[in-house]
Amino acid sequence: MKERITLALAQISSQRGNKKENLRKIEELTLQAKKQAADLVIFPELCLTGYVVKDQLYELAETIPGPSTRRVEELARKTGMHVVFGMPELSEKTRATMFNTAVFVGPEGVIGKYHKMYLPTHSVFEEKRYFRPGYETAAFDTPIGKIGLCICYDLFFPEVTRLTRLAGAQLIVCISASPSVRRSYFEILTAARALENTSYLAYVNLVGVEDGLQFWGGSRLVSPTGDIVARAKYDEEDFVLCEVDFKDLKSAEAFIPTLRDLRPELFDVLKKRAEEI
Amino acid sequence: MRLTPSVLELNLPEVQKRITRFIREYVDKAGANGLILGLSGGVDSNTIAALSSLSIGGDKVLGLLLPERETSNQKDISDALSVAEKFKLKTQTCDITPVLKSFYATIPIFDQADRLCKGNIKARTRMVFLYYYANKLNRIVCGSSDKSETMMGYFTKWGDVAADISPIMDLYKTQVRKLAENLGIPADLAKKTATPALWPNQFAETELGMKYETLDLILFGLERFMDTEEIAEQLKLDNVLVERIKNRWLSAEHKRRMLLAPKLEYRTVGTDFRLPRST
Repeated sequence: MKERITLALAQISSQRGNKKENLRKIEELTLQAKKQAADLVIFPELCLTGYVVKDQLYELAETIPGPSTRRVEELARKTGMHVVFGMPELSEKTRATMFNTAVFVGPEGVIGKYHKMYLPTHSVFEEKRYFRPGYETAAFDTPIGKIGLCICYDLFFPEVTRLTRLAGAQLIVCISASPSVRRSYFEILTAARALENTSYLAYVNLVGVEDGLQFWGGSRLVSPTGDIVARAKYDEEDFVLCEVDFKDLKSAEAFIPTLRDLRPELFDVLKKRAEEI
Repeated sequence: MRLTPSVLELNLPEVQKRITRFIREYVDKAGANGLILGLSGGVDSNTIAALSSLSIGGDKVLGLLLPERETSNQKDISDALSVAEKFKLKTQTCDITPVLKSFYATIPIFDQADRLCKGNIKARTRMVFLYYYANKLNRIVCGSSDKSETMMGYFTKWGDVAADISPIMDLYKTQVRKLAENLGIPADLAKKTATPALWPNQFAETELGMKYETLDLILFGLERFMDTEEIAEQLKLDNVLVERIKNRWLSAEHKRRMLLAPKLEYRTVGTDFRLPRST
């Protein structure tokens, strides 16, 4: 496993409903990332289709494997790159249910995927109307490191990143489609989730305006001590390279031993209290 | 939550940036040649004029002055023109009086004394002019309704609220006034008394029964699910008054929604036919 890897935070806007154009953009930026010696390129939540596509999701969702993931697999194979991107997934098994999915592809094919566990269905969000929630966190042992996945609103629930970290993830990738009115929350949460888990957290957000909803970008890599290592521009497309040094986890944990000081017995209480709300 | 004027404070440069980006992206994605807007000389349309110009450049914004004999006055016209000049908008003036007269003469049941029905013809006639220009010039109609009047239903259905985009519809009137000043609109125009101009000497605050400073705080409380008793107590108002505002807000929902159709089939327009806008 590499000790240091280079990430490319590909903060893009999507053309809604236009998978062909969005795949073209994924391809273009993956090639750019390769040229700049990145190991992993990360794209936002649901960037394959755009975020506000409503009932069109029923037509746009694809199985994994499916035409779009096959194309990204081919791209990863050709370039030797690792790619994370978001798409609406049609369940292979039921062919009827959908997930909001982060797909992780490497040179050998699909490494794994993560189904968003917390689906916002309040305010302007209507994800539960369309998607089935995921039931498992995701952490993958790969040649470029132990990497976990989560999606946007998951960040409000520390248990997701905690479980991901406890499964061994040293870099947690969070893909997002967060609108501007929520920017301050995510600026806090991204730092908090990295710090409390002493892990790296790469956050890649959508930009652009979809049905009046403005996505704020501001993608970033946060260090295990909660510092912003690199940050993309607000409100416009950007492409940022940054480095993850996995050795930093050890020194961070020595300084803020949040994992050493975990109290497992509290989680039983937490479970009980949560059931009693 | 304490209902003090500070709750309505905004990060004005950030709001301005978001609105101008919203307008710019919409016009770009629509492939339109620019914007059409109605210029009344009031704070809302002056603010929209400024924001439109800052978004896409004044040469792509056409402001229509649509005066009519009964309500128009030189002050409103010169206020509108001064803002248009400041923000380098093009303008055209169409006196709609002959069209209105034709309506009055043609409608068999026309009632001269019913000033609301008559006034609504004015607002809807202006809408027809705006959309003619938009069609003809391949432009987007940019509305100037604010959140206070939209929540109160204080507008003409299919009239002054009719537009393709409404960039300041999520801002209360008092917030629009502050944004206007921040944009460089002179203070006297930003604070100008609001009127829908459906008939002479019609003033919004008189009809709404209170100052916008108070109304906006009531609406802000309702927006955040506060109950009327609490709002009334905090603002030292009679609860009957706050209840009246709440009822007026709720009863005007039909003016803010797509047409209502009975549910008969698999997916129904306006209810569960949920499609994204194409731009």
